[in-house]
Amino acid sequence: MVKVHFLLEDLLVEAPEGTSLQRIADAAGADITFGCRTGSCGTCRVRITAGLQACSEPGPEERDFLQGLEAPADQRLACQVHIHGDVDIEYLGL
Amino acid sequence: MTTLETLLRDKVLLLDGGMGTQIFARKPTVDDYGSAALEGCVDLLTERRPQWIREIHDSYFRAGADAVETNTFGANPLVLGDFGLSAKAYDLNVQAASIAQEVARSFDRPRFVIGSVGPGTKLITLGHVSYADLLASYRVQMDGLLDGGADAILIETCQDLGQIKVAVRAAREAMAARKRKLPIWVQATVETTGTLLVGSDIATVLTSVEPLGIDVLGLNCGTGPDEMHAHLQTLAESSPFRISCLPNAGLPENRDGQVVYPLPPEPFVQKVLHAASEFGLAIVGGCCGTTPDHIRALAPGVEKLNAPQRTPKLERSAASLYQSVTLKQEPAPLIVGERTNANGSKRFRDLLAAEDWDGMITLAKEQQREGAHLLDLCVAYVGRDEVRDADELLTRLVSQITLPLMIDSTEFPVIERALQRSPGKCVINSINFEDGESKARAILDLCKTYGAAVVALTIDERGMAKTREQKLEVAKRLYALAVFEYGLDPGDLIIDPLTFTLGSGDEEFRGSAIETLEALKLIKAELPGVMTILGVSNVSFGLNPASRHVLNALMLYHAVKYGLDMAIFNASKVIPVAKIDPEDRRMIEDLLFDRRSEGYDPLKTVLARFSDRKAAVLDDHRDDLPVLERLRRGILDGEKQAILADVDEALQDHDPLKLINEVLLGAMKEVGERFGAGEMQLPFVLESAEAMKAAIKRIEPHLPKELNYQKGRILLATVKGDVHDIGKNLVDIILSNNGFEVKNLGIKQPIETILKELAAWPAQAVGLSGLLVKSTVVMKENLHFMEEQGLRVPVILGGAALTREYVEGDCRRVYSGPVFYAEDAFEGLRQMQALVSGTAGAVVPAPSSVVAAAGEIKILKRGGAAVPLTASGQSSWVRHEVPSPEPPFWGVRELADAPVDLFEHLDAFALIRNRWGFAQGSQSDEAFAAVLRDKAVPQLVRWKERLASEPLLQPKARYGYFPVRAEGDALRVFDPADPRRPLALLSFPRQTAGRRLCLADFFRADQTDVLALQLVTLGQAAADHAAKLYREDGYADYFAFHGLATELTEAYAERVHARIRRELGLAAKDLPGRALFAQGYQGSRYSYGYPACPDLEGNGPLLDLLQGSEIGVHLSESHQMDPEYTTSALVAWHPQARYFSV
Repeated sequence: MVKVHFLLEDLLVEAPEGTSLQRIADAAGADITFGCRTGSCGTCRVRITAGLQACSEPGPEERDFLQGLEAPADQRLACQVHIHGDVDIEYLGL
Repeated sequence: MTTLETLLRDKVLLLDGGMGTQIFARKPTVDDYGSAALEGCVDLLTERRPQWIREIHDSYFRAGADAVETNTFGANPLVLGDFGLSAKAYDLNVQAASIAQEVARSFDRPRFVIGSVGPGTKLITLGHVSYADLLASYRVQMDGLLDGGADAILIETCQDLGQIKVAVRAAREAMAARKRKLPIWVQATVETTGTLLVGSDIATVLTSVEPLGIDVLGLNCGTGPDEMHAHLQTLAESSPFRISCLPNAGLPENRDGQVVYPLPPEPFVQKVLHAASEFGLAIVGGCCGTTPDHIRALAPGVEKLNAPQRTPKLERSAASLYQSVTLKQEPAPLIVGERTNANGSKRFRDLLAAEDWDGMITLAKEQQREGAHLLDLCVAYVGRDEVRDADELLTRLVSQITLPLMIDSTEFPVIERALQRSPGKCVINSINFEDGESKARAILDLCKTYGAAVVALTIDERGMAKTREQKLEVAKRLYALAVFEYGLDPGDLIIDPLTFTLGSGDEEFRGSAIETLEALKLIKAELPGVMTILGVSNVSFGLNPASRHVLNALMLYHAVKYGLDMAIFNASKVIPVAKIDPEDRRMIEDLLFDRRSEGYDPLKTVLARFSDRKAAVLDDHRDDLPVLERLRRGILDGEKQAILADVDEALQDHDPLKLINEVLLGAMKEVGERFGAGEMQLPFVLESAEAMKAAIKRIEPHLPKELNYQKGRILLATVKGDVHDIGKNLVDIILSNNGFEVKNLGIKQPIETILKELAAWPAQAVGLSGLLVKSTVVMKENLHFMEEQGLRVPVILGGAALTREYVEGDCRRVYSGPVFYAEDAFEGLRQMQALVSGTAGAVVPAPSSVVAAAGEIKILKRGGAAVPLTASGQSSWVRHEVPSPEPPFWGVRELADAPVDLFEHLDAFALIRNRWGFAQGSQSDEAFAAVLRDKAVPQLVRWKERLASEPLLQPKARYGYFPVRAEGDALRVFDPADPRRPLALLSFPRQTAGRRLCLADFFRADQTDVLALQLVTLGQAAADHAAKLYREDGYADYFAFHGLATELTEAYAERVHARIRRELGLAAKDLPGRALFAQGYQGSRYSYGYPACPDLEGNGPLLDLLQGSEIGVHLSESHQMDPEYTTSALVAWHPQARYFSV
């Protein structure tokens, strides 16, 4: 099991390793807004403030999307990430 | 001594306001002009009423202006000629400049005189006047202004790119004759359409005048300050010159037959000062409708501004009349179309011989469609007058083609005439040192005079450079001359290291491709900033067409890797390297890299292998293949035409049913597997489906009547309340072309109707589709209803908002029959195949979808209490610290935009990757870049052109500003005409925890606030066209058009939203580039049906407020907007207003 900490509302969630962040956020009712859920709108952009190495590698689509925004390496699309260790999540859509 | 330059280094310069406005305020009579025939000749008043002019200058200087503009807007021989006063032009300019100087000197602090040069009355780009006449006319004016003592020349109110270049040249030549150098300022007038009168946007203007080395590039007239923001932004980001901005006092209004400029000094000042600090303006002032009062009000604020610091970044580009094209294309290379060349294209040569100018333009347009970025144009034909031909063709071409031109000629007079005829920034092809430097120098002079880039070949007095060292040496010499001596920007020097044919077998050239590739690398490393180009097809000269295609493609591929920026290439012949047969590739690369060995000569092998092959490379040895294999490939390659002949042939000795079941369906299965493995893109899949459909249609008459090849039936529907068609239609296409019978009930289907249809047409499964979040709930309700009816028929669910967990958990729980989730159409197909074969439930999800991990998700801690609500019932997380903006008007306005305008705001990434389904999957970065370059981007270019010429889209919009007040979870909307009269109450849901946000919270409860509403539609025609394509089985086109129209609807929404941000003064917060598509601005737009306001019912009052029926938009019974490709939104201006979910 992994622990995911949503910093905005200090929400701590436990989930099976490898679960998608989207599913965790939905299930726990975290304050993250999803748009297209396919990695091309950017609404769900988050910063991984701790545990970046515990996140799945971005696929080509997510990589290209984030490159287009010139986003730093600690920013990810919550709809694309799978979680393999403990992470802290800051939602960037505020 | 303070000069203009030292002043500009120190502070923001304040120019004067309108001259015409002040003159007309004195109500000049026939007497003042001298005669009725001269009435309106304002420039003449310098001579006849000099005291007026003195007074006006004096009043502006007293108001605080640092400089005034002379009364010489139309004082050139061409304009004065309309009054018979051409001969007075020089004197009027001298007088006007002297009068202004005289007034300037009467002040203590330094004051300056700017010589005003207007656009005249004739547009050179449209052929109203010849280059020579326009140049001569401006020269007289420049001579007069300089001799009268102007401190700078201001070429202003420019409407025509061609005119700017002529006037700058006249100014330069007048200065050179006097051995004096004064600043040259240029100001363009961007109309409300977003372009100059002749259609150029500001980026095009910048690219075209930048090589002329002027001092200031700014804007004046045309619009008020607000409308200038986007264009100033472009200049702020890219222009190396100082920026000036002299707006009108707002957009003119017609009041009782009088043209009135509405902005009084106070708001004008605010807007100009805001623009000055936001965009780093160096010079501000006013144009039409501004007065000494405006300038007086502006002075104290301007005094406080320091000279701006900017770090602009300009990409080296070429430009046509309409667009600027960067020479560094991503992905490389930039393709120069080679078919408008009398040396290279027989078709073009024949058209030229017949003087079929329109035919030549058609050929040019074809290349534009095929994906060329630049057009090489060569009209050299033995026995014909090349100067005249260039003149005739370009006069017609420049206003019809959006691609910049590469002028390809060896004749100096031809190049010069072509440059005079081409308004943008051209590339000259080419210079070299074959006969020494004199000819190259003459052409470099042309580059400087007309502002052009140049191709330089590595040829010197010894001939063509063949080794990498020689190529580099000549390139360095070209660089020294062009860059160091002539001052060309390195990015405007395009080196061609030459490539020679590998087809001759000549020992001297065996390694020539390697030398060219290595030279590319050396040139890019040692000559920073230069661009490179190759005439790639030279490498294969003399070989047969089949091997040429492959060799050219591979040479291009490798050259790009070695640093090639641009390629002269037939754009339609670009083939992706990934599509080349591996064996062909190995052989050709051996030839390219001269990998000979004992007993192995790649040239001989290539000659033998390609000897009897036809040119169509992608067919490879198609004709040699057995017919069944050809059928298979026809499906895989989506050859809907070619496959018919193969079907006919196969029917001669094959059983039709077997053909379908074993060959065609087998090939479709392979298509599905390749799609699943990420090797094949959705658009190609649809082409395969089209080929399948065509093949089946051809076979069907041969099938015995009682025999049904189909394996099963499925009933498809989009659920109640949802109008989204595309996902379900894709499933229809894939299933029906994979041997299933599909009944497609359409959209918005209540479960009662679906079940009634099912009773009449029993099927193996029901497929339910829907895009909306709400539809996921409807699906569950439908299953519940089916359960109550005692049904057990299998149900397959699909749609963007669904998840596997939801379907396999929540949905399965309410229904006793089998329920399956299909991530895409192919998983749906696998489910159906499993159902009919009795292995249902055994379907493995597609590799791309991750199987849910085992275990439960558990909340360990929910920290912090929910944010408290304020007394008025709003979230205290939102702070109301910033005053609400003032809208430019209250109430509703209507817009109609051209389809091409929407492309400016198109999110091409979302279109290509999401709507069109181009996904990298398992492909390498290079292979996928090739797919994007060769398939996706050209497809977008083609559609853009089609939509510009065919009336498929009729974009219309309504938007407006309403006074509102927050009341708890709702917004009370008031009548814009009578702000005490309530019109509507819009209610929104509130988050139950955390920030406890509700859309209403972004508006003030204690005072009136402003709510912007918007509604955009592409019109009924767009919806009709999509339906027609689907009906006629144009799967690929239907899918492409639907995706594009959907994204263009979004683009239109963003365009109107951008306008609202501009009008509310929020545009300065807009982020550059792609970030804009990810809420990179202040003030989000919220649409009903999305997370912050999921209930579509809200569209009702919104349409009422905006009177949507005026543009043909109505609400369906399920609260969705009709026609399709329509979207509406509420815009909250508040800085904390971002997307959130309730």
